[in-house]
Amino acid sequence: MDYDPMVMDDAEALGPVVKISQADSVRVKYELSNSDIAFANSLRRVMLAEIPTIAIDLVEIEENSSVLADEFIAHRLGLIPLNAEGVENLLYARECDCDGCCEHCSVKLMLHAKCTGDENMHVFARDLVPVGERVNQVLGTPVFSDAEGLGPLILKLRPGQEVKLECIAKKGIAKEHAKWAPSAAIGFEYDPHNKLRHIDLWYETDAKAEWPPSEYASWEEPPQEGEPFDYDAVPNRFYFNVESAGSLPPDTIVSEGIKVLQQKLAGLIHELAEGEGDGMNGDYNGPRSPEYGTGADGFGGYTTPFGNGGNQSSWGGAGGTTPYGTTPYGAGQSNWS
Amino acid sequence: MPRAKARKEEPAEAGSDIVMDEAPTSHQPESRDDMSVDQDEDDEVEAEDDEVEEEEEVQRVRLLPGSTPTAASFEFLNESHTLGNALRYIIMKNPDVEFCAYAIPHPSEAKMNVRIQTFEGTTAIQALEKGLRDLQDLCDVVSDKFIEAREKFAATASS
Repeated sequence: MDYDPMVMDDAEALGPVVKISQADSVRVKYELSNSDIAFANSLRRVMLAEIPTIAIDLVEIEENSSVLADEFIAHRLGLIPLNAEGVENLLYARECDCDGCCEHCSVKLMLHAKCTGDENMHVFARDLVPVGERVNQVLGTPVFSDAEGLGPLILKLRPGQEVKLECIAKKGIAKEHAKWAPSAAIGFEYDPHNKLRHIDLWYETDAKAEWPPSEYASWEEPPQEGEPFDYDAVPNRFYFNVESAGSLPPDTIVSEGIKVLQQKLAGLIHELAEGEGDGMNGDYNGPRSPEYGTGADGFGGYTTPFGNGGNQSSWGGAGGTTPYGTTPYGAGQSNWS
Repeated sequence: MPRAKARKEEPAEAGSDIVMDEAPTSHQPESRDDMSVDQDEDDEVEAEDDEVEEEEEVQRVRLLPGSTPTAASFEFLNESHTLGNALRYIIMKNPDVEFCAYAIPHPSEAKMNVRIQTFEGTTAIQALEKGLRDLQDLCDVVSDKFIEAREKFAATASS
């Protein structure tokens, strides 16, 4: 941004700051400061719902003699996290030239299990095997985060029961269905001492004693005794806790979130630049009010749709008069006097 | 009084058939011709094919009626608070902008409206484009800072 730093808050002129407090393979906790709540919330929303991942979307059941209904199993399969590494090289099925699905827009997985022993059999995500060509060798493989490497339990089979099915995993975003969410949960917190009073804490006798302090309470200055309320204060430190569901590592979720936001903006800039040439936006040839440019009052635009020359009330008064002035009784004048 | 006459006519006008332009913009018909339904059955297959191609070029931003160069309302399709609030904030940061606000007129329509009013010397469209670019720059900075912080964290965690 090339705005004069003088007009900005001192802190904001320094630009945003990121501090990581904890990071491992399932979560990243970080603090975003010198930023606005509008941007921080956009980042949270985009990480939650708009990062593309891959999930099972179509299930063809050949054999199902288990106790569970076909659609019940299909739903469970959809929710299994699949490795989304390299999903950017996969096409959305709706954008692919193929008829239905192909290796450029989907990953095929097979599940075939039959209980031949005399003990109940457990079918895990591990038994789901990717088949055929793939964009890369890990995309679409179920994620195993448990110690045994089995993955989530899909169903159980009694002796003699069998399931045989074929799944098509497709690319999508969580805005369409939550199964495509890369994150399990995103913690988002600011103002741990509630100095801004955005929260109205319920209490029996004393809110301070009854509510546990936030994990980040020690990060910020507690309010002084008898400190007056600062009505100009705005939140500017945001604590994120991004927890991965397994399909993408947590740091990738953050970078991908920013990337998706960037792509959103780039798409709109492109469209704006394009529109300027053909006059759709640049020359105002688009839809506009009928009076624009010909407004009798020279004001142009912004007329009421009632066609009486803009900036007048729709009651036909010449401005300033109340509609009561034109009642048949008064012929335009108040007859009170 | 000419006013009295105008007064008489208008309720009749408003009470009778409502002109489509008077409806809220979200209720006005799309400019695309929807009459293709009535066409012969033979043409229908072709018409459908055409429509599929048309859909690929759906315009996602449009100027709403009643806009002037320095005061304009934009309608974004398939956008939400995710973009709206951040864009509003960054456009408000522009000192040439007098007013900026966003709204989602109805929660079950995937539409987001942004109103921008600028001072003389710039246009609302320029302000919008600058806002989009500034938000991109902000994303770049945060992205860089995150990567930097991640490397720093990795270095301290391993040592």
